[in-house]
Amino acid sequence: MTSVDYRGMRLILPENDSEFLGYFAAAARHELVVKRCSSCGLLRHPPGPGCPWCTSLDWSWHAVSGKGTIYSYEITMHSVQPGFRDLTPYPVVVVELDEQRGIPTPGDGIRIIANLVDEEFHPEAEANVAIGARVKVVFQDLGEEISLPQFALSDEVPLEPLWRFPG
Amino acid sequence: MTSRLRDKYCIVGVGETSYSKYSGRTTRAMGAEAIRNAIVDAGLTADDINGMLSYHIGDSTTGPEVASDLGIQLDFFMDCSGGGSSIEALVGLAVGAIEAGMCETVAIFRSMNGYSEVRVGGTGARSATPVRGAQLLTRPYGMLGAGHMFAPVFMRHMMEFGTTSEQVAAVKVAHSKHASNNPKAFYKKRCTIEDVLDSRWICKPLHLLDCCIETDNAAAIVVTSAERAKDLRHRPVHIMGVVGRVTKRRGDSYYNDAPITTAAGKYAAARIFGLAGVTPEDIDITGSYDAFTFTTMMQLEDYGFCAKGEGGEYVSNGTIELGGRRPNNTSGGQLCEGYTHGISMVIENTRQLRGTVDDYCPHWSDGIHSYDYSEGGCRQVRGAEISMNIGWATPVTGSALILRR
Repeated sequence: MTSVDYRGMRLILPENDSEFLGYFAAAARHELVVKRCSSCGLLRHPPGPGCPWCTSLDWSWHAVSGKGTIYSYEITMHSVQPGFRDLTPYPVVVVELDEQRGIPTPGDGIRIIANLVDEEFHPEAEANVAIGARVKVVFQDLGEEISLPQFALSDEVPLEPLWRFPG
Repeated sequence: MTSRLRDKYCIVGVGETSYSKYSGRTTRAMGAEAIRNAIVDAGLTADDINGMLSYHIGDSTTGPEVASDLGIQLDFFMDCSGGGSSIEALVGLAVGAIEAGMCETVAIFRSMNGYSEVRVGGTGARSATPVRGAQLLTRPYGMLGAGHMFAPVFMRHMMEFGTTSEQVAAVKVAHSKHASNNPKAFYKKRCTIEDVLDSRWICKPLHLLDCCIETDNAAAIVVTSAERAKDLRHRPVHIMGVVGRVTKRRGDSYYNDAPITTAAGKYAAARIFGLAGVTPEDIDITGSYDAFTFTTMMQLEDYGFCAKGEGGEYVSNGTIELGGRRPNNTSGGQLCEGYTHGISMVIENTRQLRGTVDDYCPHWSDGIHSYDYSEGGCRQVRGAEISMNIGWATPVTGSALILRR
């Protein structure tokens, strides 16, 4: 079993975790992976055991570019978990990866939750968070065997107008 | 879908404990009180109850325990896992259990020390538990409470449709107006749009007053056949149709099933209105689940009370207030009366349809109301005939129940 303490929580990845062990093991190698159906070829996230599009139970890990766009976000001002209190306010972003946007149905996408962080893995300033902003994956090492995929702003030109919460 | 059972079953009894931040007793003690109150309300005795259903998130008591406390011998019971959107589903299961011949009269309850013991919003104690499985995708990123989990859905709704904080604040304002006429409500004070917008941030775009009030309480309802209901204490309230725990295709993620700004109710709407044989226009009162102000708004859209994207306008133009075209959560709901994972809102609609809402009118129990909705006054909806409860568990799971007088 792989485990690590992070901000007052114990993150646990048992040997038989067929959903998440490979995901975080890849992250430890600084690779972002999603599951790819061996039958229909579609990617999926979260990494469940079956294909939501064709029911196949055969899959492999598939490395993705780690590039994407902020699809939605929140700014956490009140952290329930004591270990996150010194981070507030911190952004949580829903990142839509460049792979498989609008496939197989319009509006579908491979979307991953992460914090938007700066180069030192501190929370990105709220003023810089926007739906539509281009981001890239970065890896926050929590130990030798577990890293957290996180996202940081990239310098790419946005593909759509930026939208920020006015409040 | 069948409508063979439309109006064949009724809610005949409702009851609850008080709402507090510290009940000072067990969920078993509260559950027994709520069920007893519902049985008495129905004009039944313990001997008349032979089925029991409950829902919990590992924070409650069991059917056999509270049945023992009231001397009830059960022919059927089941304690189900679940929070919001359970009660509507369990009403359907009660009908099914009776139809199957397993029992005749079912008490359904929810008992929770929702503030003093197990807070859904999460506490420091809960955050110390190990993180494994799907939680690895959220908790290490500082997401724990329901607000954290749902806020990106609302944020995207604001972006796509121009929905504003002011608009959804009107849900809290309306429900606080209703609560001011509800002696049971935990928060009876009326509030303004500014009060909501000036309250502290929890998780942008959610303010403190966009979030419901965690409370300790238990509540119960009694379901039996329309035939049995005829000679009971109150005018029976008929079950026209029910859908239980509809999910989106990706029930495992709130952010991957397009569009994320649509709740599971979208998939339940055709079934529930088909079963009940009515349309949104026929509904006099809604009970759209108010875990947050925006959950009420989003679901009203998805069931067709307004066009998709116009929920902000719908909840802020007076429609959902007492005196408006279609009041929502006339008890004050979970934003003001207290958080019960939805059962209290079915109780409220039952009382509304009976015409005997327990407001501040001196003779409410005789069905005599002033219809003056000023603070500290009436909350009975005049001539209410059909109500709809719209349960929410998450953006990807929902239930609905249509009742008539």
